[in-house]
Amino acid sequence: MSVGVLERPATGSASEPTTGGVPARRAMIRWAWRLFKREWRQQLLILLLVIVAVAAVVVGAAVATNTPPPANAGYGMADDLATYANSGKHPINLNLVTAQSAALEYRFGAVQVIENESFNVPGSSQTYDLRSQDPHGPYGGPMIQLLSGHYPTGPNQIALTPGLASELNLRVGDTWSSQGGKTVVGIVQNPQSLLDEFALVLPGQVTHPSTVDVLFDAPGVNAGRIGSNVSTPGSLNNNPINPETIVLALATVGMLLIALVSIGGFTVLAQRRLRALGMLESMGATDRNVRLVLEANGVIVGTVGAVVGFGLGLVAWLAYRPHNEQNAHHLIPMFALPWKVIVPAMVLAVIATFFAAGHPARAITRVPVVGALAGRPAPPRQIHRSFVPGVIALAIGFVFFSLSGAGSEGSGVIWLIPGFVALIAGIILVAPFFLAVLARAGRKSPIAVRLALRDLSRYRARSGSALSAISVGVLIAVVICAVAVARYSNVYDYVGPNLASNELAVWSPSGQNGNGQGPNGTTSAIPSIESQEASVHSIASAVGATDVVELDNPAPSVGLQNPSASGRQWNGQIYVATPALLRAYGINPSSIPSDVDVLSSRPGLSGSGVQLTYGGSGKGGGQLVGPGSGGGGGPGPGNTNTCSPEGCIAHPVVQEESQLPTGTDAPNTVVTESALHRLQLASQSSLDGWIIQANSPITSAQILNAQTVAATNNLSIESKNDAPTSAEIVNWATVFAIALALGILAMSIGLIRSETASELRTLTATGASSRTRRSLTAATAGGLAFLGALLGTVAAYVGLAGWFHSNSLEGGVSDIIDHIPWSNLFLIVIAMPVVAAIVGWVLAGRDPTGISTRPME
Amino acid sequence: MSYLELRDISKVYGEGAAEVHALQRIDLSVDTGSLVAVMGASGSGKSTLLTIAGSLEDPTSGEVYLGGRPLSSLSRNGKARLRRQSIGYVFQDYNLLAGLSAVENVSLPLELDGVAARKAQAAALESLEDFGLKDRASSYPDQLSGGERQRVAIARAVVGNRQLLLADEPSGALDSTNAEAVMRLILAACRRGMAAVVVTHDAQLASWADRVVFLRDGRVVDQTVPVDSPETVLADLPNQ
Repeated sequence: MSVGVLERPATGSASEPTTGGVPARRAMIRWAWRLFKREWRQQLLILLLVIVAVAAVVVGAAVATNTPPPANAGYGMADDLATYANSGKHPINLNLVTAQSAALEYRFGAVQVIENESFNVPGSSQTYDLRSQDPHGPYGGPMIQLLSGHYPTGPNQIALTPGLASELNLRVGDTWSSQGGKTVVGIVQNPQSLLDEFALVLPGQVTHPSTVDVLFDAPGVNAGRIGSNVSTPGSLNNNPINPETIVLALATVGMLLIALVSIGGFTVLAQRRLRALGMLESMGATDRNVRLVLEANGVIVGTVGAVVGFGLGLVAWLAYRPHNEQNAHHLIPMFALPWKVIVPAMVLAVIATFFAAGHPARAITRVPVVGALAGRPAPPRQIHRSFVPGVIALAIGFVFFSLSGAGSEGSGVIWLIPGFVALIAGIILVAPFFLAVLARAGRKSPIAVRLALRDLSRYRARSGSALSAISVGVLIAVVICAVAVARYSNVYDYVGPNLASNELAVWSPSGQNGNGQGPNGTTSAIPSIESQEASVHSIASAVGATDVVELDNPAPSVGLQNPSASGRQWNGQIYVATPALLRAYGINPSSIPSDVDVLSSRPGLSGSGVQLTYGGSGKGGGQLVGPGSGGGGGPGPGNTNTCSPEGCIAHPVVQEESQLPTGTDAPNTVVTESALHRLQLASQSSLDGWIIQANSPITSAQILNAQTVAATNNLSIESKNDAPTSAEIVNWATVFAIALALGILAMSIGLIRSETASELRTLTATGASSRTRRSLTAATAGGLAFLGALLGTVAAYVGLAGWFHSNSLEGGVSDIIDHIPWSNLFLIVIAMPVVAAIVGWVLAGRDPTGISTRPME
Repeated sequence: MSYLELRDISKVYGEGAAEVHALQRIDLSVDTGSLVAVMGASGSGKSTLLTIAGSLEDPTSGEVYLGGRPLSSLSRNGKARLRRQSIGYVFQDYNLLAGLSAVENVSLPLELDGVAARKAQAAALESLEDFGLKDRASSYPDQLSGGERQRVAIARAVVGNRQLLLADEPSGALDSTNAEAVMRLILAACRRGMAAVVVTHDAQLASWADRVVFLRDGRVVDQTVPVDSPETVLADLPNQ
């Protein structure tokens, strides 16, 4: 065996002699890739986080963007649509439509005319359209699809939708006598609306159309300039707050949390590789080369996670798509994925892991080479270096939230984004300081607790990132809780579900909520009150209800108003507190003093300074719909609503009655008959509808049946909507915060404790029992959870204080102080850390063979 | 002509009561083509001497000259380049990079210095062939024996036009046969023109050196030149 000292081959990049250029970078990336292949199990946690997040984004975004009707629903392939419809009793002027269609064709080229005539399905309240449409027309292709048979080719042929064919019990080849004995030649559907029931005939077969649609393309021409009846898909859907932006915003926050959680994992990996990285430096690798190894590892984890997550999400979406089509009532193409959301989310995943890996990479390059070779980690940074910038960032967050609140009509919403970014940056920067404070606070605690809290401070590279992640999760949840409670507590602009689940509202066609039409949408006479009442009682007996409450509007109308013109204004209907209504809700009329004007279930209304307006046009009063309208005039000087004596009572007597229903469309606020008498309004009242109260929640089948019965007298049925209650929002946000915090703790505690494994071995050698081990883990989990919850809550209220301080619609900072969700905050700040500590105690019982292995190998 | 020269080198760790004088006013020079062994008890400053000589650490006072150039005049990146091009390290526990094959480990210093991967691997393969490891070139560190790993580490330390080989207990984890084989390789590299400093506890291995320096409490207490031929357990003497 001989040894030769080989001559050095020429370098490939003479221009980069100190860094090694591309060959060095390529070698580092190759090594990072090999390490990932060897050690992917140690990165499984981060990998799974990214995979689940990206898969959730793919499915969530696909569902969110595909569930609403397609943007071109009703337009087909056209960019413009001119709509003509019956106006009351006046039918469409077909000559005008023909002339205007010809004019559009002359000006813009091809047009396609689609005519619809509405009919009742014989023996049913359901309706269908007789539709004349050329299936091969220039624009209507996406709005029609042949399922079986063929399209009509002659005047005696017709094609039906599956629902209509089923309703009529017709098949291809049958003759439909009701439509002039036409032969059913095909089954068709509108892929853009599966609820669209129609019978397709050749163009020109509809004699009395109720609507006519003219599809055309007018590139570069403003639709409004062509005609007031012309619209474009874009003009209907240009709201920046759409499902895509919401999912993308959620994905961004999710990736930020992943980045924070991943920092701990990458720090452990970097520690494991510290000696190898030291060796690399001893061979002449620059800091940049060393950083590249870890950053490339982060990019690889992010890329693999994003690709696998996309694949998983795609499979899940393909499996769910048929169900989504049923729910959305329109066909959804297999690969109709919102790439504008998915691609950025995948890129965000890579960026998140890149930055998460870059954090320990920078720390590693601060370790002296000799220290790295010996496996000694870098000493922690001085705390004060990040605390002051953190406080400044929180202050900036306050300012941004103030700007957001100050914007009118939602224009300030854009400031929320930098506001949240500043708050999150502030949390990340102040987190190490509070870890040190916690360690100092625990100086006189038992040894295990003291050691655990001190370790949190000593190894804050990873405990700090876990703390930040918990705080960010709590921040989001507390903001939701506080805003929801404050918003739902507004006694003027009352929000929430419209009705209880055991209630049905039946609206009279002549009432404020009715449509003013006769049966089946015709303009025939409105049915008699007796006929309507018969239908209502029929519905009530069908749902097993014993209580039917008639709702009467005072006439002229009565309203309430906020004395402040800049605050939220009154929203809601005020009914007459008839003896029957009071009796139905268990209120004894004799318990109401004669001087009471208004009864309400809205908590706090009596002490809000609300004003009562009355009189309608005759007295200059009436129900308010906005600041200063009605109620005796517009806003007066000093940003207040005026309350003139001839149409307004400045200090009505309001009595809160918890027995009244709390639904927004239910009679939650009523004016007493004695008040109407005093105001000389008692002579008249008008029927608006009825509330039916069943003993148990009303089922969807019962609602469907009620709609059918109601349709015979053109009554409208309203059932409980999907709007959440305040309690639902707040409780789900609390659950989110607790679950997220516990999840982050589950992922972080092992990493944090592994760094102190040698101390644990020493403790065990000196006789420490499993109780000490349990105490260490419990104190670590509990301390981190408590601090995270506290920090997140404080940061949330910093932002909210800014927002409420400047938002004229809300009642100032006092509004959130008066409506602090104490019980939910208790669960987050106190109960959650206790649960974390208990779980940590229980799970730390096993022998620490795994944890006692040194992270450096 | 000396390639490595340490002049009045001192190294102090810690401050105040925790102050430790690892090296005190050390003067040492190593000529091109010569092998110097450094011996001493634990904590005597042997490894510190090696890390300072190899630019991994800065001395508290004094100056290190490498090829006549003072290290203090070099930037952090400049020192990194010096290590890539001129200095090879061999450690007791090999410090091969997991995930890279033997040939990739050997070619890494060249690639870090900007040599294209193909050329670097060709040079590394040639080096491994010289060390009798050509057939193990694609093996990963955990597939090699201890002796093979240390031979790969030495191949990595000498590949390219290196002038200085620094070895910290290179045979500490090996049996006597492999330890002697390692010393033969280091000596062979010296005979080809490298200067080498080897830290060892083993007097028998130190007898292979041209000069033995004894350290105690951070000071050079003695320097000797071995008179007798080295004791060998292997049949053939190293190529010279």
